[in-house]
Amino acid sequence: MIARIKSEITLWRVIVAVIFTIGIYATYLRFLVGFRASTNLSDQMPWGLWVGLSTLCGIGLSAAGFGISAAVYLLGMERYRPILRASILISFLGYMTVCVGYLYEIGLPWRFWHPIVMWNHRSVLFDVCVCIMTYTTVLTFEFAPAVIEKLPWKRLRDTVLHYHHKVLIAVVLAGVLLSSMHQSYLGGLYLIARGKVHPLWYSQYMHALFYLSAIPAGLALVVMAIYLSMRSLNVRVDFSILSDCGRMIQLLLIVFAFFKVLDLTANQAWGYAFQRTSEAGYFWLEMLLFVAIPIFLLSLDSVRSNPERLYWASAIVVAGFMVNRLNVSINSLQSAMGTHYVPKWSELAASVLVIAAGVIAFRYAVIYLDILPKWPTPTKPEGFRRWMSNGGLAAQA
Amino acid sequence: MATKKAMLIDIKRCIGCLSCETACKQLHGFSTDPEPTLSDTAFTVVETRGNKFVRQICMHCEDPACASACPVGAISKSPLGPVLYNADKCIGCRYCMLACPYSVPRYQWTKLAPFVKKCDLCSDRIKAGGQPACTEACPVQASVFGNRDELIAEAWKRIREDSSYVPHIYGVEEAGGASVFFVSDVPFEKLGFKAAPTGTQPVPTLTASALGDSPKVVIMGGTILSALYWVTQRRREVALAEAEERAAITGIKRKDERS
Repeated sequence: MIARIKSEITLWRVIVAVIFTIGIYATYLRFLVGFRASTNLSDQMPWGLWVGLSTLCGIGLSAAGFGISAAVYLLGMERYRPILRASILISFLGYMTVCVGYLYEIGLPWRFWHPIVMWNHRSVLFDVCVCIMTYTTVLTFEFAPAVIEKLPWKRLRDTVLHYHHKVLIAVVLAGVLLSSMHQSYLGGLYLIARGKVHPLWYSQYMHALFYLSAIPAGLALVVMAIYLSMRSLNVRVDFSILSDCGRMIQLLLIVFAFFKVLDLTANQAWGYAFQRTSEAGYFWLEMLLFVAIPIFLLSLDSVRSNPERLYWASAIVVAGFMVNRLNVSINSLQSAMGTHYVPKWSELAASVLVIAAGVIAFRYAVIYLDILPKWPTPTKPEGFRRWMSNGGLAAQA
Repeated sequence: MATKKAMLIDIKRCIGCLSCETACKQLHGFSTDPEPTLSDTAFTVVETRGNKFVRQICMHCEDPACASACPVGAISKSPLGPVLYNADKCIGCRYCMLACPYSVPRYQWTKLAPFVKKCDLCSDRIKAGGQPACTEACPVQASVFGNRDELIAEAWKRIREDSSYVPHIYGVEEAGGASVFFVSDVPFEKLGFKAAPTGTQPVPTLTASALGDSPKVVIMGGTILSALYWVTQRRREVALAEAEERAAITGIKRKDERS
């Protein structure tokens, strides 16, 4: 008995348990003690890590869903169909984490529904709220077949899927437009803070730069997720698809870099990049991680044709993207607001808790649903047999 | 249409007695201990800059950034002048705090049901024909309340009659104008007043162009995507039809793979 329990304890499960324990305590602090106890936010820094990480990174890294579905459904790039469902699932779970994060962020979470009935069409944040709510519904719709096809009632299943198929293209189209709007509006949120946002990031085209940077980052996250799924679960995807994704990420990053350079030049902001300030440091960190290193790495055949190297290159893209969003939402504001903000442990713990829940949901969805093409035999029998004994069989049946 | 009210703050006349600060705190039932900066229990404070005293207070902009930013429309400019906050609508997103060019709104960080706090220009009192507690308490008329037009004339009169004043009224044109303005005998930038980020334009114009583009982008994007979808569908149909034709010619029976 004890031996059995012992064998259930793996490193990753211990990590998950720790994340959940600390995260739930942080959640308790946030909802039952208050902002002062759970965050380092202040009147000078009203938005912190939760906006920067949970919302800006969460939405941005979920951009692949609309990118890949546009490619497959609207542009007929059938080549990417094998990774379509995985991309939509990642976006769906990403938006779910953002919706949960929203409850942490707003001071009166029981009023989360107010933007649905109280409108202010002049507010960028209102548009963001409405777009995110609508697009989360669209993603639920796009992802629904993966669950519906597992229902035991054949007639219901067939009827629902029949009608689903009929309206799918219209919904996908709406989803692409909605995504394009709110991906850019997240940057548009900071347009009104001219004079507060550091000139290295402020631009009247911030919203366009947010849009351009989100798509490569979202694709990079899909590459990472699929690589990890292939390594630890019994799924297989033709590697050349991921390799092509790498090429696409590189191309999109070059486009972003081009417009970022153009924008800095137009705003005559280059001078700020060569001052001895922490902003300049963060700026170059972002340029290295999000632009220079990935573009160089992804231009190498030896990186694009090697799964592990492609994975790490994508990880650098994701990290660089997160630096970009945290720069805009936190680092760019500090000097103008005359404050120094370091997130409290509980802010990080709550964000990590929600992200971890999303990752776990992804794992079980890949195991139990038909997200990625399944491989008949588990490649790692020892540690995963118990996990697979139900899911693997159910999937093959 | 009600006459627009306003408040004029004369930095030359201010003696730093904190009467305005205390009167405000008493009116709202807060502890009267002075605070260094604006807070959720201090809607106006008198800050010392060199040998001058500068009142910090909500500017009550004509076209307020906070009101345009609020996703649920909890902040509005009233016809009399005050920028008012409706606590019943607020969700606590704090975007108003980020949007305000003067960084005025404060938050009740210690509360479990926190709200945004800022000066409301004693809206209830001025609606009843009175004046705000702070101007009423000022012993030297460094802060005065009145009709906006008359106060602007009064400010120019003070500037004309006393050459020590800086020939500028801060707040009349800044960021599209406000209902609180300052005159001073020391240049404003030396007292910590920031040039408005949009000059004389209202701050909401910063987002108006991005928001105004969205219908165009949606219509154009929708049209282009629909067209692309039509093209790819058509190409697929043609390819399928051609394949069927070839199959018919060679006499090979094929299963329809579309189903």
